Order: sequence, then C-alpha cells, then structure tokens
Amino acid sequence: MNRTIYTILTASIVAVLAGCNKQLDLKPSISIANSDALSSTDDVKAAMKGAYYDFASSDFYGGRAFMGPDLLGDYNELNWSGTYQGFTDIYNKKITVDNNFVTSTWLAGYKAINDVNNVLAALPVVKSSSIKSDLEGQAKFIRGAALFQLVRLYAKAWNDGDPATNDGVPVILTPTLGISDSLKVKRSTVAQVYAQVISDLKDAEAELAPTNGFYAGSLAASAMLARVYLQKGDYDNAALEADKVIGSGKFQLMKTFAEAFPSIDPPAPIANTAEDILAMQVTNTSGTNGFNEFYALSNRGDIQMTNNHFALYEEGDDRANFFNESDGSYYTQKFDNLYGNVHTIRLAEMYLIRAEANFRQGTSVGASPADDINAIRTRALLGPIDEADLTLDEILLQRKLELSFEGFTLDDVKRLKGSVGPNYPWNDGRLIYPIPLRETRINPSLTQNQAYK
Amino acid sequence: MRKSLLAILWMCLTLPLFSQTRTISGKIIDAKDSTAIPGATITIKGSRRSVASDANGSFSLQADEKARELVISSVGYINKEVNVLHTSSVLVVLSASEQSLSEVVVVGYGTRLRKDITGSVAKVNAGDIANTPATSFESAIQGRASGVLVSQQSGKLGQGINIRIRGASSVTAGSDPLYVVDGMPVTSGDQSSTTAATNPLADINMNDIESVEILKDASAAAIYGSRASNGVVLITTKKGKTGSSKIDLGYFTGYQKPTRKRHFLNAQQYVDYFEQAALGAARQDVLAGYYDNIDDAIADEKDYVESRFTRYAAGKDTWKTGAVNTDWQDHAFQNAPLSQYDLNVSGGNEKTKFFLSGQYLDQKGIILKNSYKRYGARLNLEHKVRSWLTAGLNLSFARSLNYRVSDDDQFSTPLQIIALSPITPYIDPRTGLTSGALDTTTGRPNTNYPVYYNPVLSAENQYYHTLVNRTIGNAFLSAAITKELSFRTEFGMDQLNQTEDIYGGKLTARNSGVPDGYGAYYTTQIININTNNYFNFNKTFATDHNIDAVLGMSYQSYHRDYSQAKAEEFPSDLYVKLASGASKTEAYTSSNANALVSYFLRANYKFQSKYLLGISGRIDGYSAFGKDNRYGFFPAASAGWILSEEKFLKNVSWLNFLKVKASIGLTGNNRIDDYAALGLYSATAYGGQAGQHPTQLPNPALKWETTLGTDYGVEASILHNRVSIEVDYYERHTKDLLLNVDVPGTSGFSTQLQNVGKLRNKGIEFTLNTTNVVTRDFKWTSSLNFGANKNKVTNLGGQVVGSGVNRAMEGQPLGVFVAREFAGADPANGDALYYKNTPKADGTIDHSTTNDYNAATDVVIGNPNPDYIYGFGNTFTYKGFDLDVLLQGVQGNQIFMQGGQYMSASGSNGFDNQTTDQLAAWKKPGDITMVPEARLFYPNGIGNSSRYIETGSYLRVKAVTLAYNLPKSLIGKIGFERIRIYAKAQNLFTITKYKGWDPEVNADYLAGNINQGLDFYSAPQLKSIVFGVNIGL
Repeated sequence: MNRTIYTILTASIVAVLAGCNKQLDLKPSISIANSDALSSTDDVKAAMKGAYYDFASSDFYGGRAFMGPDLLGDYNELNWSGTYQGFTDIYNKKITVDNNFVTSTWLAGYKAINDVNNVLAALPVVKSSSIKSDLEGQAKFIRGAALFQLVRLYAKAWNDGDPATNDGVPVILTPTLGISDSLKVKRSTVAQVYAQVISDLKDAEAELAPTNGFYAGSLAASAMLARVYLQKGDYDNAALEADKVIGSGKFQLMKTFAEAFPSIDPPAPIANTAEDILAMQVTNTSGTNGFNEFYALSNRGDIQMTNNHFALYEEGDDRANFFNESDGSYYTQKFDNLYGNVHTIRLAEMYLIRAEANFRQGTSVGASPADDINAIRTRALLGPIDEADLTLDEILLQRKLELSFEGFTLDDVKRLKGSVGPNYPWNDGRLIYPIPLRETRINPSLTQNQAYK
Repeated sequence: MRKSLLAILWMCLTLPLFSQTRTISGKIIDAKDSTAIPGATITIKGSRRSVASDANGSFSLQADEKARELVISSVGYINKEVNVLHTSSVLVVLSASEQSLSEVVVVGYGTRLRKDITGSVAKVNAGDIANTPATSFESAIQGRASGVLVSQQSGKLGQGINIRIRGASSVTAGSDPLYVVDGMPVTSGDQSSTTAATNPLADINMNDIESVEILKDASAAAIYGSRASNGVVLITTKKGKTGSSKIDLGYFTGYQKPTRKRHFLNAQQYVDYFEQAALGAARQDVLAGYYDNIDDAIADEKDYVESRFTRYAAGKDTWKTGAVNTDWQDHAFQNAPLSQYDLNVSGGNEKTKFFLSGQYLDQKGIILKNSYKRYGARLNLEHKVRSWLTAGLNLSFARSLNYRVSDDDQFSTPLQIIALSPITPYIDPRTGLTSGALDTTTGRPNTNYPVYYNPVLSAENQYYHTLVNRTIGNAFLSAAITKELSFRTEFGMDQLNQTEDIYGGKLTARNSGVPDGYGAYYTTQIININTNNYFNFNKTFATDHNIDAVLGMSYQSYHRDYSQAKAEEFPSDLYVKLASGASKTEAYTSSNANALVSYFLRANYKFQSKYLLGISGRIDGYSAFGKDNRYGFFPAASAGWILSEEKFLKNVSWLNFLKVKASIGLTGNNRIDDYAALGLYSATAYGGQAGQHPTQLPNPALKWETTLGTDYGVEASILHNRVSIEVDYYERHTKDLLLNVDVPGTSGFSTQLQNVGKLRNKGIEFTLNTTNVVTRDFKWTSSLNFGANKNKVTNLGGQVVGSGVNRAMEGQPLGVFVAREFAGADPANGDALYYKNTPKADGTIDHSTTNDYNAATDVVIGNPNPDYIYGFGNTFTYKGFDLDVLLQGVQGNQIFMQGGQYMSASGSNGFDNQTTDQLAAWKKPGDITMVPEARLFYPNGIGNSSRYIETGSYLRVKAVTLAYNLPKSLIGKIGFERIRIYAKAQNLFTITKYKGWDPEVNADYLAGNINQGLDFYSAPQLKSIVFGVNIGL
C-alpha cells in the first residue's frame, strides 16, 4: 500500500464518518416520544388508563385532596400528631403559600386534566364511535371531577359572595405540547369553573354506559353531578341525579358498615364493593391509598379521633365501633387495607344527598327523606326514625357520621354556612388553600387568595 | 546545517584568541539515567564564548589559559558551574529541574512542550502515582495539581470520588471532568444501582499510567468542546521503549486503618445520660400537663428508662454495674490488609515497541465486610509497518469484584452500629448468638433488641457483590503523508459489564422487612465506541515561523442496557440465587444511548520561539440536545510571550525563563439525561391494567451549558532554573445552565429542563517548584501548589434549588448550607435557642433568640466549598535513598453533620448512643452551654441548624514514601537491573478541628452537585501503610 492509496482510504473514512449526523436521532426505550404515543385506538385507551393513574394519585383523588380539607375543617374531633409540617400547618389553619401538600395537590390535579385533554385531542384517531364516546365520556368525567375538587380547595365557596366575579381556578381544556407564555393562564371565575364541571359531567353522563367496570360509567357521572349540585345548593338537580344512581339498581348498600370498607390481613387488593359507585384502584403494584398512609394504625397513624367525635354517635351506632384503639388513642378502620381501593363515591352518599335535597324541597324524588335516612340508620344498627321526627339536623348528622374522614367536612361547613370552631366562620379566607407560591411566582396572571396576600 | 553554522560561529569567536587558548572537552549527561544531553550550552564564565553539546552530549571548546569555570545550562535542567582551572576534560552531570520546561505535555489530540503551552495544564507523572495504596488513581493525584479538588466520599472501597477542577460549573448537569484514556473518552459515571455512586475509573491500573494531564483552562480544554466545561483529565499509559527488554516485578503489602475515630458514651456514661434525659422528659411531661406532680413524672420516666436499659442489656441488670461495656464502633471496623502484585514486560526495537503489564490487587476495606479485588492486564503495542506508517493498539482488561456495604442511610451500614447502646453485649448471652439474631420467644430475629437493627447481622448474612468486567481498547494507524503532514485514525471501544448480586438472609428481616430472605440481581452493559481521525501538520517556515496544526473529526456512541430482577422467600440462606426465591417481585429492563459527532481544528503558531499564538475550534453535535440546537461551536484562543528570549532580558543572569500568557475560550457541558429534550410518554398501571401518560415536555431548544473561561498566567524560572513558578488567574462564567425550571403547574407538568441561569468561578492558582539542595549525593526538591476558587451562583431565574440543608440560590456559592442559626441552650430551662433572624418592621434583622424553631428563619449557616486547597511536596534523595513527603490540605469549608440529629441529639430521638460532647448538656438553671437539655423523646434542638455545622478544614500528611535503591554494583552481580524497596503511607496523619470521623466526606446516598459536605454515618478515610519492592530484570 502506498501513501496515495492510504491517503485516499483515510480521506474516504473521514467522508463516511462525516455522515454520522443521522446517528444523533436516538429514540428512548422505556419512554416513548410523544409524537408516537397517540396514534391508534389502543394508544388512546392506554392514555385514558394513564389519566386514571394520575387522577387517583395519592395527592389527589387517591386521598390527600380530601384528607387536607378534613384537617382544615376540623375542630377538635381529630388529633393530628404527624411530623409532616405541611399537614401540621393545614390542621392548625396556618397554611403558608409554599405548603408542599397544597402545591402537590394542585400539580396532581392539573396533571390529570392535562392527561385527559391529551386523550380528548387524540380522539380523531379512534374510528369506532362507541369507543370514541366512551373515551370522551371518561375523559370529561375526570376533567369535571378534577376541576370540581380544585375549585372547592383553592377558591371561595359557591355560596360565598358572587361566584360570577369570585376567582375560581384556571380552566384548561387543551393539552400542553410545549412551554410558552400562553400557559400563563388566568383564574376563571367560580361560576365559570362550575359551568365547565357541570358541562363535562353532563357530557360524561350522556356518553358513558351506566357502569364500566372499575372505570367511570354514566352513573358515576350522575353521582358526581349530585355532589356538585348539592354543593351549589341546587337541590332539585341534586335529588334527580342521586335518584338516577339509586334507581338504577346497579349498586347496593353493603350489609354492614364494616363491609363497605373491606380489609384483610395481610393487606391485599380487594375488588370494588357493591356500594362503590367509583373507587380509585389500588393494588400491591400500582396506586397508593393516601388515606391509609395517615389514618391507619398499621401505617403512620398520624390522625386519631378525639372524644368530641365519639360524642356525636347515638348509643348503639355500629359506626362508633369501627375504630382501632392503641394506648388510649383511636384510629378509624375505614382505611385499614394498605392495598385497599379508595372509595371515592359510595351509594350511601347518594341516599344522604337525596334525603337532604328532598327534605329541603319538600319532595320525595325516588323515596321519602325518612326512608333514605333509615336506610343509612338501619345499616348502622340504629332504629328507624319516623317521618314526622326527621329534621335537617338529623340528616346532616347522619351525613357527617356516615361520611366522616372521607373528605366532606370543610365543604359541608361552607355549604351550610357553619364554622370551624369559634374562630373560623365558614367564609374565613384561611379555610381556603392558597394558590401555591411556585404558581404565582412563575405566572403573574394568577391572583392570590385574599388571606394569603 | 545547524551544526555547521555553529562551527562557523565558534570559529569566528575563537580565532582572534587562538594563540592564548587551550582546549577543554567533555561530556554532559543526565543525573537520572546517565544519558547524553545534546544541545546544552557551555559557556566560559566571564566571557561570551559558548558552544553547544552534540548529539552524544560531547563538546569541546577553546578557552583562555586562565579560564576558571564553565557554566553549563540546558532547558529543563538546573544550571551547573564546573571548575576547569586544572583540568581540560570534564564530565558534567545535570539534574533535571523540578518542573521541566522541556517536558512533553499531552494535550487533546497531540502533545506540546511545556514552554510552548499557552493554556493551563497540570501534569502528574508516573512516579507520583505508581504504587499508591489506593483503589483508584484519583487518590494519587490529590494534592499534586493546583486548583484540582479531589475528594473521596468516604472510606468505602471503589466508591464515589469527586473531582472539581477550578470549581463546580453546573447546578443540575454533571460536574465531573471528562476522562480520556489514550485518546479514548471512557465511561466514568456512576453505575451503582443504589444511590451511592461507584467509580468506573477504579478499573484502571494506576501503575499503567505514564502521566495524567489535567486541562484546566478553556483554551486547553475547548478542543473537547461540549464536554469540557468541567475540565478534561487525559490519562496516558506507558509505552515500550527502544532498547533492551525489561522485566519489572512489583509487590507491596500492608494494612489500612481508619484515619480517625469518634468518641461515644461508654456504658456508665450512657446510663447516666439517659437517666438525665428521663429527668428532662419528666419536666416536659409536667409542662405538657400530663402530670401535676414532678415526682410522679420522674418516677414514671425513670421506670421506663430503666426497663429499656434492662431490655438493651439483654434482659439483665448488667447496666447497673457497667459489667457490659461494648465499644460498638470497634465492631464496625475490621482488619484491613492489602496487597498488590505487578508484572511488567516492555521493550522494543526500531520497528516494534511493546508494553505488557499484569496486576492483582487484593484489598480489604476498613469497614466490616468491605473488600475489593481486581486483576487485569494491558498490552500497548506499536509497530512500524512502513517507514511512514505505524499501527498500534492499547488494550486493557480488568475484572473487579467489590464487596460493598449498604448506603450511609441504611441501618445495615456498618457505621450505624454506633447507635447501639454500650450496655448491649455483642453476643446475646441468652442465645450465644450475635445480639439481635434470635428472639427465643418467637424463634425469629429480635424486633426490639438491640435498640436498632444490628448491622453485624447484615455483615454476617447479607452480601452485595458488584462484579465488573472492563475492556478498554484503542487501535490506531498513523501515517506520515509528507514530512510535515501526518494522519492518525483511532478506533476505540470501552466495554463495561457489571453485575450486582445481592442476597439478604433471614436474620436481616428486621432491616429488610422481608422475613424469609430476599435477593436481587442487576446487570449493566455499556458499550462505548469512539473513533478519532485527524491530520497533524507541523512545519517551520523561514526559520522563524512554526505552525503546528490539527484538523479532524470524531464520533462517539454510548449504549447502556440495564436490568433488575428480584425475588423473596427463600427456603434457606443456603439458597441465594433468584432461582430459589418463591416470590419473584421484580422484572425490569431498560436501555439508553447517546451519540456525539465532532469536528475540530487547532493551530499553534510560534514566531522566533518567542511569540506563541493558539486558536482552536470544535463543533459538537449531540443526540440529547434539542433538534434546534443540536450543534454547538466551541472556539478558543490563546497567546504567550516568552520574554526571556527577548534581547532586553537575555542577559539577566538570574532569569532563565519568563513567559506571560493569556487565553479565552468557550466550553460546554452536555451531561444530561439522554432524552432530556424530547416530549415523552411513559407507561403506568391502573388497577393492574397498562396505561401511559405524558411525563416530559419537549424542549427542542435545549442545548449545552456554556462556560466562557479566561486565564492569565505567568511562568518563570529563575536562579539557574532552581526555582520555577507558575501563577494563573482565571474566571469561568457559565451561562445557560441546564436547570430543571419550574413551569406553570396548570400545564400538567412541574418542571422542564431548560437553559436558564448563570454562575461563575474566579480564582488564583500557583505552583512553585524549587531545587533546594543539590550535591553529589544529596538532593532536595520542593513543590508547592495552591488554588483558591470563589464560586457564586448569580442567576437561577429566582428559583431556590435543593431539598435538604444544601441549596443552590442566587448570590451564594453552590451548595451553601441554609438552616436556622443555633444559639445554644437557654440558661433558664435548657431549651434549644435559635436566633430569630426575621426582618423587623424597620427593615433591620431581629437577632433576638427564641425557643420556637418555627419562629426563627433560615439563614446561610455555612459553605461546603473550600476557600483554598493546597499541596506541598518534598523529595529528598541521598545516595540510594529517597524520601517523598506530600502534605495536602483544604481550608475554609464547613461540614454539616447530618447524623447529629441522632447521635448528638439530647436523647430526642430515643436511645441512640450519643457522642461524648453531649455530656455537656444543660442540667440546671444557670448552666451556660451550647448543648440543650437531654429530654428523652422530646425534640430539643434537633431540627437542621448551625448546631451541626463544623469546620471542614484539614491538613494531611497525604503520602509518604521512603525508598532504598540497592546499589547497582551489588545487584548487578546477581543479574538484577534494579531493586527498590520501599515503605509507603497514605493519609498518614490528619490535623483538623472537625469533630466527626474524617473531614474528607460526603454522605454517599446524598452526594451531588448541590449536596456537598454532608456527614451521615459516613465511613472515615483509609490510612494505609505498605511495604513493597520493585525488581527490574
């Protein structure tokens, strides 16, 4: 080989290697490029399941988005002994704008919303119209439910002043595909958020089959609508929606209160109960029961019940027995199963909504208020109450006892214009979460809630 | 040409004096190996007459009858004067000056002479590295190069070592330098499946290293473009030399000990302390309203504490008498011998040169069950195929087996043993087994005895074997196309195959939560391929102009496959492979890859050997960057002026060399996740069904971090080259930081990797080399290096990054400690006090104290970055003996004792044994002390605060070598070329005020760019003493 040949050879090697540029387009393996992610019906279906995963995050519907307002709305029925400063502050009504749980719940909520907005934007690739409407219904269910919980946590209550002018939370209806200034959104009004929530849930109700395995069916949408209407004080619609669920006959109250919260030892996944209209799925490999983490004696056991809570029960109330005792402290057994599903909407709540709405309106949509309350009382091993003796207070007490620790305390205080102890009237600004500091810092369009300015 | 010119010159000079002269002739040789020194200048003192030595080192000149002395000088050697009054024939032996200006320095894609370098390059030679009793070569360069901060996280073998060259230049991207072995950028990043890093550079046999060059300034490093911001470390391995073949045998053996230990309470102190803590707790019980009467509270607390004493004393009352007094710390350490065996064969002729080496290292760690074994071999081969064509290969393989211990935050890591009570016996007398092994009532390991899980159970019943097979090979062809132009092509491969084999037996259940054994198996397979192809042009025009240029391209591709498998429930501890686990709990595989395409150019111009100019540029295309910014351009320029070559300085006799230099350049940092710029979806599962969701937003604009570096330096050599000094001032301004930037959460995302933010490093470095004494038999040289760097984060877009005590925040050095300012114990009641440091209405700061942790605000309480680092080496040679002593120090940094909240914690965390300084705790009103009252289970001053800040400054006797070279006359007779026996010590002695184990520390499970200077039950460094012999045949 002479030098000339060598030179030519090497020069050609250089030339070939100079064409390495294509080698720079490398594709990931355990994740995939977003451009490849939503190109078939199965892809979109998978994205829908992914959205449930985020919706059911322990920071959101998986627990903490409901445990937080129970701590914030508590007055001496619960004792918080945990070491997480963020929850200590919530429990003490001294939330700072950088509270990590307030921040995490915000992020988790909008993550779920972005997930379903991606699903909705990808629906054109779905050819089957039945699958398409199912996916659209589920996506809108999640978006409606997510916005509803966010607006309740981060904005003034519906009945606090004028919802048409009060700041709600941002309503996001399109998927995020990149970062730009257009993401610096404003807060919609409370009324606009509720309108979007109802519109989404109505669409879901129309498009979904009544039940859908452990995913949301139209009855789950109806149940969520009942909850929304009750929060708005729209009792006629609340009763109508609750009645759709009860009247469908698809769900039954479990025989005992304990059976509504099944648990086995050692912990293992258990399927939805007949009472579950919607439950966030938890298994030993996916999902986290956020309530279990803080309430269960077998877990952190950071939240105990005080005598003030036990004083609310009538003699013989079976629900008062559903507690673990350890060293003089009491822990609810509702969340004992580490791998137990989170019972998001139980049929019992529908009876309570229908009873309250009918009672307030003097109607008997589906059943009389007394019948509905007695369904709850009987299951709790309490004697039935006569129609004539039934009071709103009794309905609300049954609601409180039946649904205790499931995330209803604060919103019921607001809805009913009560108070959290003597110091916090229902419309006190400190009973609303702040907009997280990270959000107001990055996005100056977001106004802060009054109590945190 | 040159010779005849000189001859004419010489004739012109000498002719007029011919009649009165005599001839003096002689030879000039190197003191080290007696080889001839050509080109040395021989001048008659007091005259201008001089000649140069020829290729054989010989010279001859005509001198005046009365000429008394000759002055002999040569670049890189110390000048010498010889008396010639009574002789006409001399043999002159020159000693090399400490930092030789004629030394060849490896730079990217080529070499330069030290005196021609315009950038900043530190060099550490084989002699300083060889036979260092340490696992990896970085330990050997610690303290030997100015501005290079080497810190090993802990004394665990084969684990993380951080090198920061002129300060850290990134907040979230990688901050380690690029490592290049014989032209091949190698895999150097952490490959551990735990959060504690391993060190793939430990696979390199440090005795194969000929030199380590550290490219410090931007102009030197910019030839490595987008990977050069953190500096570049070039490792060159040994080559064979022409001449008779050599065989070298090496062996050393010795032992290692922890550099320092801490003091913990003994049995009696422990009992007294917790009785005191019970009293403190009783006072709080009353304050909290649990008791009306202090005596009742005291009685209950005392009962409780004493019942626990009995429990922790294995159910006995030996705690009352001090009969059991276990020093648990001693049980965390083990005897730690180490031995190393080396065999090298090298040689060569005109056509072929080779270097062949083999090594076996057998090292026990000081930490219980920690050990490291490595064997490997190397072949460096070079063959002249044609007069103009050379082919060669550098090939090494190594197999290392690291018996690792748990991360610092695990109950099973040996040093967490110090939490156990001194009243607990090592062997449980009830069972005759290790304490904690068996609870006779359940037949299972104890769950509440000793106070915590006993790490000895893990040492005895658990293993974590990390096995690495490593092959690094680089083949090359080099062709001289013309006399001036050559071309080199290299193809290299770095293959790293690692398995991590883990088993934890039944007795580890209290730690693992798994009753019947668990196993895990992780594999990592990395293939890293690189090719360099470049032309080199070197030509001198018209005598005065020299151009040395490099033009080429390179391509590197990296591919990593990883897998995990786990199982639980084994029939017995004799079954340790996953095959035997009844429940398979994990199966996981993944892979990632990146690729880099580069084109580079460098040209150095030299005029009259006085004026130096260098420019370079590199274009890098990197796969992980965004589509819009995939290619970056990294230019650099530098200039030097050798003033001592100028007429006006040439005759300044004390000044031998003086150069000023300046450089500027752009470098980048590409150390980010391989797919950081892409929009990504990842898999999830909901209710056991497969789903997917978006996890990362695309950032098509994502690019490298850019550092603009400038360097101004002076190099001088004075007093017959006996003193040389190099001073550099530099600034490094980094912008477009690769930062996880907060984005509006309403987008469905929380952060995105963006180019936001700035930081800078400024500093000064100097190196001073002196030859203090040179006589026939004795020589003493010194080398001092010093580097002071100031780091400051100037812009993070308003974010504060960091979740623990360390923060990255604007206006502060990277990683500053931020927490409450501790004010000691309240003399009135023993409460921990903090300075409020809250702003008052008038804008001033409230410096009053409070016992409410939440009423005080966080302030900067310390800085983990040293003010300056230094090394001071002295070498003495006397006849066959040589002694080398290196001092190394770090000054002005702080350490946060993260473990203080447990081991110096007022009993707040329970029954953890405490450091002896806690004996100074507040006891009664009026006590003035910095240690708050002991209160069992009542937190008293354990929140993060300056209570746990300590000075991290230290000065170490880093390395000492005492060696004796047996006289040739003796060993020559028995056929040996060379026999050297030596004793070596590493980390022999440490001076520090640090209260923890060792101030060179960073908790392995936390260590990162921001998390620095943390100590959490971290193993102290190793003090090693070895005795060895090198035999040359």
